[in-house]
Amino acid sequence: MTQRLLPVVALAATLLAPARAQAQASGPETPTAPAAPAADKPQPWYRPRHVVLQTAGGLGMISAGAGYAYFNDKVETDILLGYVPKKFAGSTLSLASAKFIYSPFTLRLAEKWQLKPLSVGAYFSYTHGTLNDEERGQYTRDYYWWSSDTRYGPLAGGRITYVRPTKANARPRNVSFYYDLSTNDLYLQSYVTNTKGLSLGQILVLGLGLKADF
Amino acid sequence: MGSCDMLEFSPNDHRVPEDERDLTAKNLERLRQTPLPPGDTLRFVFTGDSQRFYDEADDLVASVNQQPGISFFVVAGDISDFGFAKEMRWVNEKLRKLKVPYVTVIGNHDAVGNGREAYKHIFGPLNYSFVYGDTKFILVDTNGREYNFDGHIPNMPWVNQQLGDLQGARRQVVISHVPPQDEDFDPGVRNAYAQSLREARNLVFEMNGHRHSFSIGQPYNDGVWYVNSDAFSERRYMIVTVWGDKQFRIKQIKF
Repeated sequence: MTQRLLPVVALAATLLAPARAQAQASGPETPTAPAAPAADKPQPWYRPRHVVLQTAGGLGMISAGAGYAYFNDKVETDILLGYVPKKFAGSTLSLASAKFIYSPFTLRLAEKWQLKPLSVGAYFSYTHGTLNDEERGQYTRDYYWWSSDTRYGPLAGGRITYVRPTKANARPRNVSFYYDLSTNDLYLQSYVTNTKGLSLGQILVLGLGLKADF
Repeated sequence: MGSCDMLEFSPNDHRVPEDERDLTAKNLERLRQTPLPPGDTLRFVFTGDSQRFYDEADDLVASVNQQPGISFFVVAGDISDFGFAKEMRWVNEKLRKLKVPYVTVIGNHDAVGNGREAYKHIFGPLNYSFVYGDTKFILVDTNGREYNFDGHIPNMPWVNQQLGDLQGARRQVVISHVPPQDEDFDPGVRNAYAQSLREARNLVFEMNGHRHSFSIGQPYNDGVWYVNSDAFSERRYMIVTVWGDKQFRIKQIKF
């Protein structure tokens, strides 16, 4: 049982970061934050703010989705659907993932270029199409203590943004390229129980993507 | 591992560089290059269950590399813990530092999720055999529970065909992960398997992993020896010496 808690504890730090950001963002500073000029027509709350296209990062050979941004764009939630062809994984996989990202700093590099040097966060993914992921009655309870299909883990990365002129209704149209380094609960479990035999670099997974406001 | 390697599509992604593919065939090719003259005593290292014991693996390799007169090294399954290609590669990263070639057989943990496909891609066939010196080795998938006891694991027609043909060898050894007396072995195939081993010509013993604990005995009281290995975590391995029709000696080594 204790071994299950190890990655959870390791994850807690990264998960807490966005939570603190929310706490700060809802504090007294928020009203003074520079707001975009009033839009012609307010967008419904459920309309995503950006679309995302990503490769790797454990979320698919290719994954695509949409996301929301809050608290002056410091906190984002992206929802992605990913795909891995059979020849790379033994079966065709579809992945549904959610990423929670906190980017505390934005640096202006040039008139049209911005840099978010550090983003931290976490992801959760569910894989459909795995071959041997438990038929009814196959195993006794807790035979394997982990799920073959559900993964979660911390991530950290950065992005560079090309600032495009806003739309007529003042909605931003920025395009960003991002990378993130992540790991998953089971790789993390492998590492924390073998800090001599494995290096941190061996458990890191790289993801690259594009994000476009619309 | 380079940055291309880090661009992982999923933990089930089993793409690997060419030199990390077909490791069984590559290791057997290495073994063929150091043939054992007919009549010579054979000595090999037997262990099992490397799963998520990377700290121990370094010490194990260092210890085995000190042993003289070893021909090869066997891991009796559960190379990985979660059935991921990355784990199999981490273990290979350790075991490729052995001075001798190593061979594996698939374990139940290697068959979880898409692990079976990863194992085939990185190591090779789930059932295979080879002859070295005077001994034929038969390595067979006995992880019946991973197939939900479908009645086909182990593949008895294949096992019988292998046991029936010594291919010029004097004796034979069967190696698998789950021992037949274990509850993870398909109960519908258990008797047929034990009977085939009982009737096999010059079978030295049947060797297993899975239980993480050393044992040697005749659970069916039928003259067939069953040998179970310690896991890497127990910091013990066996040096197995085989000669004559079916003589053997097993020495436990602590590391």
